[in-house]
Amino acid sequence: MKNIFLACSLFLSILAASNPVETGHAKASLITNLQDSQQESFYIGVRLEMQEGWHTYWENPGDSGSPFDATWEVAQGVIVENVEWPTPITIPYPPLMTFGYEGDVVFPFKVFRAIDSDLSSITVDFNFLICADICIPEKASLTLDLSSAIPNFLVDEAIKNLPTDFVQTQSVVEGDNLKITFNSSQPINSAYFFPRQDNLFAYAPTQQLISLGDNAYEIAIPVLSNEVDSFSGILSINGEGFQIKEKFKSSSSMSLWQAILFALIGGLILNLMPCVFPVISLKVLSFVSMGGDDNRKIRNHALSFVGGVMSTFLSIATALIIIRSSGSMIGWGYQLQSPVVVGILTLIMLGIGLILLTNINFAAGLTTLGSSVQSRNDYSGSFFTGVLAVVVASPCTAPFMGAAIGYALLQPSFATLPIFLALGLGFAGPYLLLALKPDWISALPKPGAWMETLKQFFAFPMIATALWLMWVFMVQTSGDALILLLLLGLILGIAIWMIATFKGRWKWIGMLATILAAAQIFNNLPENTNGLVADSSAEQWSLAIESDLQAQDRAYLINFTAAWCITCQTNEKTAFARDKVKEYLSDQNITYVKADWTNRNEEIAIGLARYERTGIPLYIFWKPGMLESKILPAVLTEDLLIKSMQ
Amino acid sequence: MKLFLTLVAIFSVATTCAAEIQLQNPSINTKAPNFVAVNSYGQTIQLSDLRGSPVILEWTNHECPYVARHYDENNMQDVQKIARAAGIIWLSVISSTPGDQGHVSADKANALTDSRGASPAHVILDESGEVGMLYGAKTTPHMYMIDANGILRYKGAIDDIGRGMQFFNASFKDAKNYVSSQLRELVANQSLAINTTIAYGCSVKYNYD
Repeated sequence: MKNIFLACSLFLSILAASNPVETGHAKASLITNLQDSQQESFYIGVRLEMQEGWHTYWENPGDSGSPFDATWEVAQGVIVENVEWPTPITIPYPPLMTFGYEGDVVFPFKVFRAIDSDLSSITVDFNFLICADICIPEKASLTLDLSSAIPNFLVDEAIKNLPTDFVQTQSVVEGDNLKITFNSSQPINSAYFFPRQDNLFAYAPTQQLISLGDNAYEIAIPVLSNEVDSFSGILSINGEGFQIKEKFKSSSSMSLWQAILFALIGGLILNLMPCVFPVISLKVLSFVSMGGDDNRKIRNHALSFVGGVMSTFLSIATALIIIRSSGSMIGWGYQLQSPVVVGILTLIMLGIGLILLTNINFAAGLTTLGSSVQSRNDYSGSFFTGVLAVVVASPCTAPFMGAAIGYALLQPSFATLPIFLALGLGFAGPYLLLALKPDWISALPKPGAWMETLKQFFAFPMIATALWLMWVFMVQTSGDALILLLLLGLILGIAIWMIATFKGRWKWIGMLATILAAAQIFNNLPENTNGLVADSSAEQWSLAIESDLQAQDRAYLINFTAAWCITCQTNEKTAFARDKVKEYLSDQNITYVKADWTNRNEEIAIGLARYERTGIPLYIFWKPGMLESKILPAVLTEDLLIKSMQ
Repeated sequence: MKLFLTLVAIFSVATTCAAEIQLQNPSINTKAPNFVAVNSYGQTIQLSDLRGSPVILEWTNHECPYVARHYDENNMQDVQKIARAAGIIWLSVISSTPGDQGHVSADKANALTDSRGASPAHVILDESGEVGMLYGAKTTPHMYMIDANGILRYKGAIDDIGRGMQFFNASFKDAKNYVSSQLRELVANQSLAINTTIAYGCSVKYNYD
């Protein structure tokens, strides 16, 4: 092979200054589209007609190979620009992947000349690597006399087929993939992204293409490191090339430790969020009742509760990792996008409320919700309360939590678990302290009859939570479906009443009957969600809205919200719905945009991912003069909201 | 939910199994993947047996123009000698599949070593491509450096003149050789200043049919 190589080079140097040149496995020639001697700019093309089965390479050759090298010799006053690369094709040699060209290809170079310069000869030393199964470096020294050259239509054709800029894309690095979303009005037979940088992506694995509906598609390119901050390349759709160049936000880099710290703080604050508060209060109450008990028991109860919290967070993290590995966009509160889950949560809340009111003795679990009298040594109750606390916490996002969870879900799996564990640790922190220092319980008020009354009172926050969930359910489905859910609530009431009232066989027969009735109704619950609630005061969100508004120099405030997100709903009431805020928005000409994530929506998930979030609330503000849009706090008041926009 | 998760788990396992053959991508500063392979004298070589000495892996294909140039100008041999003097075990690995460019018999491999004045400790005949895929070897040459504790310290090109056609005109004297310039740190079991580069050259001729 070495000899062939040397022979070729020798042979070619003798043949210098000809056109075309046979290089061994290709015919190389110089062609132009120059029409008349008055043109100041035109194209010159290196045409390579390769033998069948042979190929040469794109700018980024892929796993092996090399792009060509062209050295120009031109007269004074003439400038030859860099090549404009045609759209490459994939040339797979599994397990390797290379990018290049086969057959007949023209590489166009733009030429500028001073109008008073002579139209003289132009010469190029063209070195290229040509490969079939084996690779051979070949070269041609080509000369074209511009004063006598005949315009060749192949040059114009090559220019016409160059990749264009006409595609709108959005990109995000999520886990181990770069995901590019784009629109195409034509059906897609093949799509491939050719990355220009040679160390960011894995080339050989298949690039998964999925249809998002409405002509939108997403292509996933496996990344080699998650430190991709900018990239460029050519997206080839049905063989047609589109230039893509993206730079990600530089503000992104939150470290793992920072994310863990945020998760700890966020988890701690989560205890005070409205959806968790009732359940937590009951747990506190049960600890109060233990005042005077021996420390070992207090410690065991506290540890069981912590165990329940931690194992639930661990299960959630594991489930999210598994779901993510199947390629879905996921987020915190994601499960509440399913009306079935909302329905079940409604019934749990309602059930707890009823149990608290009727004061009945359930065999396991629920009794220890605040009750101190029964099953004092049954730690499973404390464990279960821990599980329940996390389950009811799922609609809430505390400050700091959004950023931490967003980080956790967009990073590779190894970062996900520690962050969720930190979240659990923060959430269970106070009880862990109690386990370490059981004596501190004496600082709490003394137990007494007031506890029974307070316990009954806590039934009402639970029922209020149920009412809120019913509203979410109705927004997601329909009034008819809500009646079915209410019927289930009724049956649940009957069941609880029967357990409290009857004994022996009748109790079980009654239970069976209610379960059958419930199953019947449950079967009829709709799985699919219906449309969104329109908000006439806000503009509909879309993936392109930010760039559109920025292009028009219009300030904007984006509200990512959902009916099931109670933090969002609280913010709506305490900030967005206030007159002062509305006035400020209209005075300052700020466009108010709402992205409603009550129902599943991939586009919104992608929009959130741009801010490294996977959950809501998320508030984005931008006004002319700002380099990048900014993220507003997760818990807002009207003053805070207005202040953060100033 | 449980059923759903089970299904998801089964699905992910199934897709992993069905995946095409893929190159692995061993991480720098972690344990280098162990392998068992045969050398040109029919002896079995196991990486873990070499623990205690640093090891350099060189993917090669004597017919590849890139490799040919490194050997014709004695560049590769020089690096091999420097490495040998530093007590490093040099393994030249041939992953070409039978019938493809660069695939050689054991005798031919030994003859090549002699005729080129090369000094690898062993020439590994990896015609199944197993070792190559384990290390993610893409090109010839493709270099890997492993320290005496079995930690992978370098993967990538042999030098900095390979990307693009200038390789065939550039002089090795002007090149920064990533291997020979970092042997001192390798022998000291340290992490290297440059630990990952893009390998250049011909593709490794794996069995892809």
